[in-house]
Amino acid sequence: MDTPIYYAKTEFIETDTGNKVSRRATIAGPQNIILGGKTIISNGAIIRGDLKRTGPGHAVVISLGRYCLVGEGCVMRPPYKTYRGNFNYYPMKIGDHVHIGANTVVEAATIGNHVVIGKNCVIGKFTIIKDCARIADNTIVPPNTVIPALALFSGSPGRFVEDLPESTQEIVEAHTKHYYTRFQPIER
Amino acid sequence: MSPSVDYHCHCLASNSAPPPPHLPSSSYSFHPLHELFFCEECDAVRCNRCVSVEVSGYYCPNCLFEVPSASVRAEKNRCARNCFMCPNCRNTLSVVPSDPPDMDDGRSPSAAVSAVGEPPFFLYCNHCRWDSAEVDITFEKPTGLAAQLQKYEDSAPDSLEFERLKEHFEPFLRASSSSALAGPPPTAHSHHPHVNPITAAASSALARDIPGVGKYTPHPRGRRDKGPRDDMVEYRSRVEVGGSSTMGEADVEFMRHIEEVSEVAALEQRWANSWATSLHTSDLKPLRIPLHSKKSKRCPTCRHILIKPEQKAQSVRYKIKLVAANYLPSIKVALPQPMDLVRRGAQAARPPGGEGNSGANGLHAGDTYPFTLSLTNPLYDPIQVRLSVQRQIPPASTTVASDAAPVEKSRRPPFAVSLPSSAFPIAAFAEAWEYEDDEDMFGVDDDEFGFEAREKEGKAKNKTVGVLEKRANVTVVGGEVVIGKDAKGEVKFNMLVSYTYRSDDPLPEDDVRGTPSRTKAPEMKTFSFYTVVNLGSIVPRQETKMDTDP
Repeated sequence: MDTPIYYAKTEFIETDTGNKVSRRATIAGPQNIILGGKTIISNGAIIRGDLKRTGPGHAVVISLGRYCLVGEGCVMRPPYKTYRGNFNYYPMKIGDHVHIGANTVVEAATIGNHVVIGKNCVIGKFTIIKDCARIADNTIVPPNTVIPALALFSGSPGRFVEDLPESTQEIVEAHTKHYYTRFQPIER
Repeated sequence: MSPSVDYHCHCLASNSAPPPPHLPSSSYSFHPLHELFFCEECDAVRCNRCVSVEVSGYYCPNCLFEVPSASVRAEKNRCARNCFMCPNCRNTLSVVPSDPPDMDDGRSPSAAVSAVGEPPFFLYCNHCRWDSAEVDITFEKPTGLAAQLQKYEDSAPDSLEFERLKEHFEPFLRASSSSALAGPPPTAHSHHPHVNPITAAASSALARDIPGVGKYTPHPRGRRDKGPRDDMVEYRSRVEVGGSSTMGEADVEFMRHIEEVSEVAALEQRWANSWATSLHTSDLKPLRIPLHSKKSKRCPTCRHILIKPEQKAQSVRYKIKLVAANYLPSIKVALPQPMDLVRRGAQAARPPGGEGNSGANGLHAGDTYPFTLSLTNPLYDPIQVRLSVQRQIPPASTTVASDAAPVEKSRRPPFAVSLPSSAFPIAAFAEAWEYEDDEDMFGVDDDEFGFEAREKEGKAKNKTVGVLEKRANVTVVGGEVVIGKDAKGEVKFNMLVSYTYRSDDPLPEDDVRGTPSRTKAPEMKTFSFYTVVNLGSIVPRQETKMDTDP
């Protein structure tokens, strides 16, 4: 039950706020990425902080909250569109306690708190995911979709399946915290 | 499948004992703990199947607009703004402008045009590339699409027919409701929501028009109402469905000449409509998105509110939330495999993500397996817990004498479960343990864990049944299951959990609701509930192995 999930200590960098970032993850434009603390970026994840709005200076491109997990091989890429003839990237904001399964591609605009996204999903451009929603494994969410709070989506295209139980917030919070405490280094 | 524990809700059945776990239907009375509610007033567990649900608000799942309940009916439970569903794949459609007219090179398009794009606008599906221009629906401006589509929808034959039907029944409804008000209100009426005037009228019309369909008479009182029903004039529909045989022939002709399957609209694409629609995919119209609702839930017996969401549609907070997880100890079951124990003792590294392995190997017939139940106390008071396996013959099934004989064999489970027989304590839940944010806190946990593991390793040989570990508000107890030699199926048993707690705040309402049977001492209370423990499925024993086994 409390079995730790071990990782090689040399493989991850731990920050002062408890973020654990794999050395084997591709973090582009780190100055444009915010991690809230106790967030885990797994091996092989790609986070594109370099795709920022045109213009000088640095802007926040991707922000993740606390107790998030970016699974192995995930791609996090800010959404883009051409508006009034100008091509631009737009920032991606992700709340607290968000777990993203392995090999999922995320181009969402906003992801709320306590959201669980399964494995092998595609979250299309400018998707808005509200609090406590859940995306089943292998779901394709088309661009511009809005996923309401406490909804389970699955399928291709992702469709509403059912309302999640009222205690989803507590369950997800306990799960993400528990996952973080289990995620322990081991000397090799 | 990993081992699981589900909790029983008897759903107001007089017999509170759960059905035997080997019946497939038993899974309907067991639920994961987090899906259950708890009524303080009745002191009972409630589930989604037995609570009464009320809509506390409507919202569109796409634009998240909170629709006032007054306009929900007028808008036919669908979003009346800019939200449409693709008739092809049910994805949300987006409004796109037409391609801008070709400009001379180097000249930027005028600002007014580029802001919203060029009319006409149409709806486009990002997923399957369907667009509304295919079915000749285009818009002058990109806002208020529903209003622009309204004229199409209102002229559709099904909505015209529905309007006519409503008109037709209107005088009858008014008459029946006024007569119901005038006459003595039947007391039984309120208990039968099905017997509303609409149902009665519909059933009467159906019985008259279609020979052989009996009238829906829920109880004999219905005869009294017969008078006004017969006063109704006969309804004539706008279109005679049976009369137009040409449509059917056209369909046959169409089906004969199809070249691609996608030309025919699939059943799924058509059955959301209230009317028989054409088979052609090219005739599919964009659908307005059905509204979702926020629901409040009440206890079915005492009508007290168990769940009351906040008004705001996208808020995940609740004004009232009485969930069973805050009242009943949560139980997690684990089945340490022999391998697992060895590995844990050696403190060996496990590959990340491999935590789901334990219990996946299955249980072998003829073997004995220890298992652990870790109980977590959510209450602010310490509790005493007693576990017992449910007796296998529930009193209810004895009444079914004819069924008893064949069931008898399967009723005896092919395994024996031993659980700690004496009551054991679980410490109170304290808020402080929730804030295990700091590293050192975890360090302590880890050490403790290591000790326990080592200790357990020594103990495991001689003691598997009993209390294994106590920390914070968690107590881990061990049990043991002995699986019969030729057992098959699943190791699944009902477990009765009773816990005693001290209700230290003797509120006056507490005294009223505490039934004497539950109350042992003045302030000690016992609550019992059933769970089903599923340890996994049995791997049938190989023939050869069986021979070698002593």
